[in-house]
Amino acid sequence: MHPLTKVASATAFALALGLGSAQAATEIEMFFPVPVEGKLAKEMQSLMERFNAAHPDIKAKAVYTGSYDETNLKTHAAIKAGRPPAAVIMSANFVLEYQIADEIQPLDPLIAADGKTSDAFMDQFWPALHGNARFAGKVWGVPFHNSTPLLYFNTDHFKEVGLDPKNPPKTWAEWSDAAKKLTKREGDKTTRWGLMLPSNYDYLGWVMTALDMSNGGQYYNSEYGGEVYYDQPSMRGALTFVDNLIHRDKVMPEGETDGKAVSTAFFAGQTSMVVLSTGSLSFIRENMKSGYGVAFVPSNIRNAVAIGGASLIMPKGLSDEQRKASWELIKWLTSPAVSGGWSRFTGYFAPNKAAYDLPEMKEFLAKNPDAQVAVDQLAYARSWFATYSTVAVRKALEDEVQAVLSGKKKPLEALKAAQAKAEEIMAPYVAATAMNLPK
Amino acid sequence: MATAALSSRFDGLRFAGVAILSLVALAWSTPLLWMAIASFRPQSFGGLDMASLAPNFRPTLANYVEALDSADFAGLYLNTAIVCLGILAVQLVTITLAGYAFARLEFRGRTLFFYAFLLQLMLVPPILIVPNLVTITRLGLYDHLVAVMAPYFASAFGVFLMRQTFRTIPRDFEEAAAVEGAAWWQVVIHVLAPLARPGLVAFSIVSVVAHWNEFLWPLMVISSTENQTLTIGLASFTRGAESASQWGVIAAGTFLVAAPLLTAFALFQRQFVNSFLFSGVK
Repeated sequence: MHPLTKVASATAFALALGLGSAQAATEIEMFFPVPVEGKLAKEMQSLMERFNAAHPDIKAKAVYTGSYDETNLKTHAAIKAGRPPAAVIMSANFVLEYQIADEIQPLDPLIAADGKTSDAFMDQFWPALHGNARFAGKVWGVPFHNSTPLLYFNTDHFKEVGLDPKNPPKTWAEWSDAAKKLTKREGDKTTRWGLMLPSNYDYLGWVMTALDMSNGGQYYNSEYGGEVYYDQPSMRGALTFVDNLIHRDKVMPEGETDGKAVSTAFFAGQTSMVVLSTGSLSFIRENMKSGYGVAFVPSNIRNAVAIGGASLIMPKGLSDEQRKASWELIKWLTSPAVSGGWSRFTGYFAPNKAAYDLPEMKEFLAKNPDAQVAVDQLAYARSWFATYSTVAVRKALEDEVQAVLSGKKKPLEALKAAQAKAEEIMAPYVAATAMNLPK
Repeated sequence: MATAALSSRFDGLRFAGVAILSLVALAWSTPLLWMAIASFRPQSFGGLDMASLAPNFRPTLANYVEALDSADFAGLYLNTAIVCLGILAVQLVTITLAGYAFARLEFRGRTLFFYAFLLQLMLVPPILIVPNLVTITRLGLYDHLVAVMAPYFASAFGVFLMRQTFRTIPRDFEEAAAVEGAAWWQVVIHVLAPLARPGLVAFSIVSVVAHWNEFLWPLMVISSTENQTLTIGLASFTRGAESASQWGVIAAGTFLVAAPLLTAFALFQRQFVNSFLFSGVK
């Protein structure tokens, strides 16, 4: 070889090396909220370290972004500012808004590039989760961690008043009977409530969805983001049931009760039954002093609740490398082993069905049969309401329901007002879609 | 006789005044007191004692250990200090100069400009998040501490405060300096700024406290863990939407976040109060 050629090829080789190392790792960012108690932020960082170790060509960074609502705000802002994160763990019912705003990309091309059909891909996840992830003909989100509302009850209290803890209430009639028996009064003062429901924003909407669906209702049009059914008989029945528990039977406290106050009251034995998320399961298991049990949310017409939790979404505006790296991360985070581990750590159930075939999950469920109830209820779970401007439309109902809880309004007038408010909020979307007719 | 009766009535009023103020002080300090007690309370849900103010338990440091373990507090303190002091340093320069301009310089449209400046106070900060984020990203500052500080370099409130403070200073001082041959900037540095010290101190306190406690903007603009400020670090392990709270750990973490400000207040209490009295900021 000619000396010059030698030098040239050596230089080329060095350049290639240099370029190679410059391109070695695609850097991506993932936004994540911390929805449950504990050191989840730390656990998420260690998941990222494991992912990066297993994928030397990717350098993923998890960015803590506050609550679900703040994560939503930061994601919209970052997309508008031209700094989209490569992936976001987004409240499952906000995904629709991103699709309406054209800010996220469909995942079908990436699924197809892996040689899979979208049907086969979605089939990995529990059917109840499909509605919030795949709509308008495309896959927009991948379920990451999910929950349903559960009935938690104090077994010691049950035994004390002669109820069978092995046979918790299944219907609303049994539920209200149990609540009456469990309520303890001293004169005018209630020392123990039969039942408490969380009624802060977000939680209240979710609990009302569960009651409405258990009463045969739909709550919203799962096929179209411009319709809700707040003033229909199913919702009227659900809200009247709650109103009766508070103001007629006096087995539930009046006014607004924060989710944290509900769980604290349950720990303190001040209430015998509560409805809380499956996401609270680990925390209750670790901290509850007296015996407790979990059951499906009781039904009036049918067993049905809405899912909660979050999905992974991928914003638009990423480079090809980032897109590929983000897809690797999303697939890894939702794989059976990682999904199962996160589920055991948090209390959420694992969206990936195969997680429950792994030996460590089987062992865990054998030890903690309460976690099995959460999984069983999934067969009856439905999509979480998602509409145009989801949060505002949800608040339209919550404000009115809170007025009923505090005795300021009667159910029917409250629901009519909620429906009118919700329709007003969705009007621009309706005008641009369902009412956009040929001229 | 009459004076004795008057003075005893005065004593009575005085006593009532002190009693009412003590009650107000108690009401204001209850959350702090509760935080301090709860942070030493062992984690338990056995009863309602979590809400009680009486320390009826054996104190534990477990909550502090857990809080310190949950976030890198040294880094958080450093970042927060850099942000607060960085903002303040720039602000002191900008508000002094702008305050001087609005108070002393004659130029066309002065009043109009001043009112336009004041309009800033009417804007709710969250509506500026997206435009500010776009600017920060274009400047290439996303995820830098400078980005947390930049939107606050000019403060409408500070300019207003300094303009008012300068206007209370008699012009004689400046004229005397001018006779001695001082340039305008020498007048500002050597005459006006020292005389406006109470105003500057009052503004510094408001500024540092506000930015120490700020949450939303740093959350929007910071992505790396190593660039986080205290409030975000605290939130990352104390906020959970779907479960009961570990009040002890929250109280300990909050205490760690608030401690430097509380200490500073205790140390410089007299000076703080004096400068607020002087500047008329309540």
